[in-house]
Amino acid sequence: MSNGGFIDAQTLEGELTADVCVIGSGAGGAVTAQVLAAAGLEVIVVEEGGHRTRPDFKMREDVAFQQLYEDGGARATKDAAIAILQGRSVGGSTVVNWTTCFRTPETVLDHWKANHGSTISLAELMPHYLAVEERLSIAAWPLEESNANNRLLYEGCKAIGVEVAPTRRNVKRCMKSGYCGMGCPVDAKQSMIVTYLPDAVAKGARVVYGLRVDRLDEEAGKIVRARGTAMGGANRYSPTGKLLTIRAKHFVLSAGAINSPGILLRSGIAGAVGRRTFIHPVVGVAGLFKDPVEPYYGPPQSIAAHGLAHRTDGIGLFLEAAPLHPMMASLASSGQGADHLATMRTLPHLTAHIALVIDGFSAEEPGGTVTLRGSGAPVLDYPIGPRVVEGFRTAMKTLARLDLAAGAQSVRTGHDPSITVRSEADLAKLDALSYEPGRIAIFSAHLMGGCALGSDPATSVVRPEDLRHHSVENLHVIDGSVFPTSLGVNPQLSIYGLAHRTATRLASAWKA
Amino acid sequence: MKRRRFLRWGLFGAGTLAVAGMGLQLWPTTRRHRPSPGRALAVLDEREFAILAAAAARIVTAPSADPVAIAERVDDSLAMQPLEAQADFKKLLGTLESALVGLMLDGRPHPFTHLSPDDQDAALFAFRDSRILLRRTGYQALRKLCVAAHYSDEKSWADVGYPGPPEFILPKDYQVPQ
Repeated sequence: MSNGGFIDAQTLEGELTADVCVIGSGAGGAVTAQVLAAAGLEVIVVEEGGHRTRPDFKMREDVAFQQLYEDGGARATKDAAIAILQGRSVGGSTVVNWTTCFRTPETVLDHWKANHGSTISLAELMPHYLAVEERLSIAAWPLEESNANNRLLYEGCKAIGVEVAPTRRNVKRCMKSGYCGMGCPVDAKQSMIVTYLPDAVAKGARVVYGLRVDRLDEEAGKIVRARGTAMGGANRYSPTGKLLTIRAKHFVLSAGAINSPGILLRSGIAGAVGRRTFIHPVVGVAGLFKDPVEPYYGPPQSIAAHGLAHRTDGIGLFLEAAPLHPMMASLASSGQGADHLATMRTLPHLTAHIALVIDGFSAEEPGGTVTLRGSGAPVLDYPIGPRVVEGFRTAMKTLARLDLAAGAQSVRTGHDPSITVRSEADLAKLDALSYEPGRIAIFSAHLMGGCALGSDPATSVVRPEDLRHHSVENLHVIDGSVFPTSLGVNPQLSIYGLAHRTATRLASAWKA
Repeated sequence: MKRRRFLRWGLFGAGTLAVAGMGLQLWPTTRRHRPSPGRALAVLDEREFAILAAAAARIVTAPSADPVAIAERVDDSLAMQPLEAQADFKKLLGTLESALVGLMLDGRPHPFTHLSPDDQDAALFAFRDSRILLRRTGYQALRKLCVAAHYSDEKSWADVGYPGPPEFILPKDYQVPQ
């Protein structure tokens, strides 16, 4: 079935050709496709997941996670210790993210220059940020429009003296439903499915969905074709056996920090691929408040605290709120039986405040590694090192303190068995807690690295100036996997900006 | 020293996994202890389904919870996971059920599905608190799949005071994007 330029791979046969094949339709792929198509290049975008739009978004977790998330929402690290939230449909994670927008901090860009052979400056990115911010209606969200979950985070941070501020969001006429993570029910979120992808299609790009790229074939230092399998079933998890080939002059890999390295490794392109993956590992606490919080309604994320991002006595942290609908609450609540049910029954009165650890800035943090399972599926192994553990400890104490300061009756950690803090005097209980795998709920929604940009082919995969592979001359990687460290901020705008800058350069080079 | 102990436990764990199948032969999961699925299963077999449903009955005790429905939804969810993750989960259920593994690691010489509810809780907590990484993460995977299967189901909402999604009136000039 073809819906404008959106084409189900199952309806296609044999071989497709284009100037450019973009693999992945999320933040990196969509912006790249639009810029290249607008420059007059013939573009095919390939997406493994299905094509879901507003009428599919039912604001129900059972529907949304199966339709819109990798592994039906159950993706995890190799040891199953860290849950991974990543999008898997046309538009990728932009369909399900919580709309938080930050430019890459200049301190991070400077760190890349000093340590990873990067040449990228804020001045160079600025015109591209401005263009993307205009297209996606990225603007400051007023503090008074925040929901209670975010407001209590703000008040708690103020009370304990942690620098905190409202975020910018990529929304237009937001109706504050609270369901950003399940696909926006009113298309207020300016995700790729309502912006750059339709823009690209209007310029002639084709988006082929339900097509898993199995490998890239390389001949004499160039990629000659991508080979893939059409995926069937309601949520595109069943390989149909139908094989398709895409021939193109240029290949752009934009499949994200787990799948991009996966495709390269399946293609026999290794080097530094899959190394130095950073994930902003997340731990959180649930605060119990007397008044209703309704953590399921309202903009899920509109406040962020970066006051601990540049700690001198340990790894950096930033604090945000997370929405809690029943399934997410059940995953965040430890225990079983009556214990778990008791927590669940307090859902309307709970806050969920999280700390994201800013990993990758110390030589002592090698990060995670993406490898292939026997079936060829990529998997991330992310050992929790001592610096991250110290970060978790500091995070737990900070989150518990700020929730108490904001008026929480009690604060529960994500440990199993859980620890409950009722007063400042209880905070010492948190010091002894273990962060071994399987003893605490850890998650990540920010997957970065694995195809790092840099000047040294021994430690990086693509060169900074155009994100081209160091040795394969018509292969580019444009997504979150090129970041040589984590960012210390939610990644979507960093990916949009870098993609816009890189695709603009490629468009002028390839048209010439 | 720590690493050596871990390795020893790891090898011991692998050995116990290998004999788990044999343990099940010795103490079969009898029909009496076998809740059946109401439909065809995608990933699990009937024996694994019965073990999962028994565990789900202890993990989710909300008034609206139905262990068979939870196990069916977990089976759906497993079908979207990589083959290796499916195989690991099936192995985990076999290990949980095994009387031999129970005996060797926890002094529990009965299959999980034959235990009293309190003893089933104790068996699950032995996994949760284990020094063996695979048992801890396996328990959390089992627990998370069960709670997610139940609380993603609309019928759980009233138990936890969740009013459900709001109704929207779309803006007048709203257009479905093409």
